[in-house]
Amino acid sequence: MEHRLSTALLIVAHGSTVNPDSSAPTLAHAAEIRRRDLFADVQCAFWKEEPSLRDARFLFDPKTIRKVSVVPNFISEGYFTQTVIPRELELNGKVTRRSDGQTWYYGEPVGNHSLMTELLVQRARETAPDIPENEISLLIVAHGTDLNENSAVAAKREAEKIRALGRYAQVLNVYMEEFPMVSDWRELTSTPHVVVVPFFISDGLHSYEDIPVLLGIAGKGSDSAGGQGGDFFQRGPYRIDDRSLFYASSIGTDPRVADIIVQLASRAAGADDSEN
Amino acid sequence: MPDPTETTLATVFNNREAIGQILIQRTPLAGFVLCHRDDQTNDHVETFAQAEDAIEIARYDDDGNYRPLKTAPNLRHGWRLNLADADQLGRTIDYFYPGRLAMIEAWNQNRLITTSLRDTLNRQSGMYRIAAKISDEQIEEVVGNFCRSSDGCLRTILWKRDGEGGVASTELPPEKFDPGFDQTGKNRRAVPLLCQEGCSLLVNECREAVKGETNE
Repeated sequence: MEHRLSTALLIVAHGSTVNPDSSAPTLAHAAEIRRRDLFADVQCAFWKEEPSLRDARFLFDPKTIRKVSVVPNFISEGYFTQTVIPRELELNGKVTRRSDGQTWYYGEPVGNHSLMTELLVQRARETAPDIPENEISLLIVAHGTDLNENSAVAAKREAEKIRALGRYAQVLNVYMEEFPMVSDWRELTSTPHVVVVPFFISDGLHSYEDIPVLLGIAGKGSDSAGGQGGDFFQRGPYRIDDRSLFYASSIGTDPRVADIIVQLASRAAGADDSEN
Repeated sequence: MPDPTETTLATVFNNREAIGQILIQRTPLAGFVLCHRDDQTNDHVETFAQAEDAIEIARYDDDGNYRPLKTAPNLRHGWRLNLADADQLGRTIDYFYPGRLAMIEAWNQNRLITTSLRDTLNRQSGMYRIAAKISDEQIEEVVGNFCRSSDGCLRTILWKRDGEGGVASTELPPEKFDPGFDQTGKNRRAVPLLCQEGCSLLVNECREAVKGETNE
């Protein structure tokens, strides 16, 4: 455990200039990990908020912090994890040794972790706690057609892993902008109960407004990211065509994502005991 | 051994009473009271007691609009934050002005590196790559409008326009580049909010200028 005395954690995320909820989960995970006192320091940095990714290079005093583990709070590998973050943080790869003596370790994005599958299942169970799983169609929603992002692939992978558990009547990966479309949920599913879990890092325009409209539980413009969008998660289940529809908040808001970040940080720094 | 947080804060706040728009007063019991600098004599304020309360206070302006730039001079009024110790003070300042204390510490240790705006823009990719096409004349105007302390940003600019050392914008007064100057214009001893590199919002403004989409 001694290595942690000089190791800091940097959680990097996208952030937003228009959505106040975008950075909230990242800040919450950082606060929780800070509370656990596992690292010498825990900081966040954002592409679109403060402190910036560029600021992050100066957040840790090299006299006291010798190692920095960087964990991208992103749902998948893609443009940001492969291009933007390494460029802005001046990382050379998985391990970067700086002239000031600090070593920075670049971890995998949160969405890649195997625990994410478990979180999705738990979130589905918590959203519809009284419904037998074999009467549920579980829909994992991603954006789809993201430029250079692989969130659609990640959602498909998670759906396949949950399907393999054999607990749900159906498990489908659906998308906002490509087939299979989330708006076709009535045709895609045949069970009396449907649980929808957005596969996003934070809540915002997509989970507050776009997906509810596509599901048919909200009219266009009925809510906004800056308004009371979170109400959609509280008001279910929705009765539509003799079916009950349960709608969860984005998976990245789950407090247990903090566990994933800790594990990825340890793994990145080569400190995870379970690492091969 | 002194607590590193206290040591840092003592160095940063030595003989200073404010940071950005926030007034910081010590209490007899080694605590701190923070409020908006305009509210020093205002007793009709909402009182808070946790560092994390600063997150919500800093999130929206007086009109309820989201504040994407925390160093913009639009911190909301009407609050007072009672903090128990230096550790809470450090965290609170970091919620109000994320990363700024660390930049001051790096600056004090001569390890803060500035990046010219041209270098920042030339580094961009994807939808922001076009921002590098901005002319020097456009930079003058964009930086002059976007970064000015009166209604743009309270940071003290340390970066240059280009590798030749050109000033960021001659439309800004010389005090905008002086860490000893109180950017709120109140002429008090304030901790500077240092800006070592143009932010993502400025990069976006440069992109808009190139695309001819500014609202000027």
